[in-house]
Amino acid sequence: MKKNPNNHFATQTRKALKEQAFNWSKNFSLPEAHALVRRLNETEPPEKEFRLGIIHTYTSNLLDPWLHFHAVIQGINLKTYHAPYGLNLMESQKDSCLHAHAPDMILFMLTLEDIHPEFSNPDSSLHLNQINILFEEAVKRILEILAMFRANTSARIVLTLLPPVMPPALGIFDAQSEHSENLWRASLKKQLVDALNNALESTLFFDMDQILADIGRFHFFDFRFWYASRFPFTSLAANEFARRLVNLMAISVYPRAKVIALDADNTLWGGIIGEDGINGISLGPEYPGNTYVAFQRRLLDLQKRGFILALCSKNNTEDVHEILDSHPHQILRRHHFAAERINWLPKIDNLVSLAGELSLGLDSFIFVDDSSHECDIIRSRLPQIEVIQTPSKPVDIPMCLEQIARLEILSLTEEDALKTQLYAQEKQRKQFKQNTNALGGDLNSYLASLKMKMCIEIDSRKNIARLAQLTQKTNQFNVTTRRYSEQQILDFTESNQWTVSSFTLSDIFGNSGIVGLALFHKLTDEAIDIDNFLMSCRVIGRSAESAFLYAMLDYFAEMGITQVTATYIPTQKNNLVADFFNRHGFTPENETGHYKRNLSASPLDRNLFPPIEIEIENTGA
Amino acid sequence: MSVLEQVIHVVAETLNVSPSTITRESAAENTNGWDSLAHVNLMIAIEQTFDIALDVEDFAKLNSVQSITEFIEKMQPDQV
Repeated sequence: MKKNPNNHFATQTRKALKEQAFNWSKNFSLPEAHALVRRLNETEPPEKEFRLGIIHTYTSNLLDPWLHFHAVIQGINLKTYHAPYGLNLMESQKDSCLHAHAPDMILFMLTLEDIHPEFSNPDSSLHLNQINILFEEAVKRILEILAMFRANTSARIVLTLLPPVMPPALGIFDAQSEHSENLWRASLKKQLVDALNNALESTLFFDMDQILADIGRFHFFDFRFWYASRFPFTSLAANEFARRLVNLMAISVYPRAKVIALDADNTLWGGIIGEDGINGISLGPEYPGNTYVAFQRRLLDLQKRGFILALCSKNNTEDVHEILDSHPHQILRRHHFAAERINWLPKIDNLVSLAGELSLGLDSFIFVDDSSHECDIIRSRLPQIEVIQTPSKPVDIPMCLEQIARLEILSLTEEDALKTQLYAQEKQRKQFKQNTNALGGDLNSYLASLKMKMCIEIDSRKNIARLAQLTQKTNQFNVTTRRYSEQQILDFTESNQWTVSSFTLSDIFGNSGIVGLALFHKLTDEAIDIDNFLMSCRVIGRSAESAFLYAMLDYFAEMGITQVTATYIPTQKNNLVADFFNRHGFTPENETGHYKRNLSASPLDRNLFPPIEIEIENTGA
Repeated sequence: MSVLEQVIHVVAETLNVSPSTITRESAAENTNGWDSLAHVNLMIAIEQTFDIALDVEDFAKLNSVQSITEFIEKMQPDQV
């Protein structure tokens, strides 16, 4: 019997397994995966339910053991419905079994041949000028199919296309040929993604070719199962595919990660600056310094995904700053970090303090440190933080964050890419405010000197991703915490009964991007209800919320609305807005959390409007 | 553990039943849950557990605890 290399995972908790660095589960055999699922289901039953529906034109149910394996590790109770084999358009209808299953996600496991019959024609010569027509038809067809499903569900749709089972027809010559298969396949995927982004919301193209690239075609397909049962995957490929899919589920059910808090010594470079000095640490083109450089580059990649970096190091500040400012091979410079705590205090205190400075919850933190001692303390004292201990072998360090579920993203907006810059701007504002206070100025003079400008957009369809993201990510300044998907937001903008309004805020320090959102539900010609009112923590303290609310009440008053109702639903995190409606002229209805304001009986007092210039653009027809 | 005991264990694990319900006589045709899907999973599990490689031609023949046990014993004649 084979020796069991996975024994040491046999008794670990779910949290410990989730926080393993890279590739730990790749060698699990099917029986070992089963055993782990059974053990975790008994000791730590998963708490989050997730419902998956699968439409497939090749065998899909053999994925189940691996889906359950990764789901249970992520604490997800997965309920999967496999539609009957085939591209079954009846499943898109409201009376279908798929619809009855009420999936949170619908996965399409299709092959290229399903999208256009020409792809399965062995005599096709696919001349260059015909390829474009073929692609257009194929993309149109897939969009029509997905639109049929999208019409009756707000589930996230994930489309996959099975990679080619055979290497390119032209072999090694493929890369140099005008008819390169790899090239036209990439081109088809690009056209498909562009069309999906423009036409459908909450629809993701999941590129299986990426899995192929990561594990290799010859380790991906098991020809025995493909030809005998039309199941293409080796255990390794099925394991990997399931892992990535479950990661997508995990990021939709768990609080979003926003910050990567990093230790410095033996994490960003080899060695300890306090002992080795700037010339003694390993950071440069030679081993092991080059592994740390590679890791720093990867952290910069994560920043591109919208995560912000924070530094949390036990050191003298000048020593670390010397590296950040002047070490020739240091990639992450001071401006890459949105905040830093470099001191001799316990890291727990520093992390709590960082959370305060960044106005972010501890459950949005991922902490990375080489020291098992530091990691253990954080795990036991701040369990909301996800803690990753870097591997002991330097060559394993650059890839150590590759498989952390919450570092994947489902969307990327302009705000995400500029996140760190936005935090830097905020630091400048805080400094400016301190200076103003020091000079004896008060809040109003500070606000006025910011020269703020607010642009409100009504029913705009340009930034649906960002608006949906705001409803999903905002926890503190959020009166009802109703979470909406991109599809739902789009539906609201198109509905006569709903008004979606959002605002950007800029001042002398810069533009914060879209930072506030309110959803209004029209009850009658004279009454509206505020379904939600939320704002990014980044712009708290500038009275933007008052400006926005008053501007919208003014807007509705001019349309003849006289009754405005609102609700405050308390959560663990939104105590900040418990008295929001009270402070803005609404009267509470007996402790029910409901509020109302009669705009004709108590009209808006312009003296209460904050010093912000407001512009409203109504883009909805 | 003898080969038979290991095979019973793998079959039980794959079918998600207690090992006490699987015997030398258990086969696809008389065992609940040993359908075509479970059979594929079983072939993968046998390969991984005994570190052997199976051919498509073997799949159909290995449809009982008895046939699987004999197959493996033939491949490992010197093991206890």
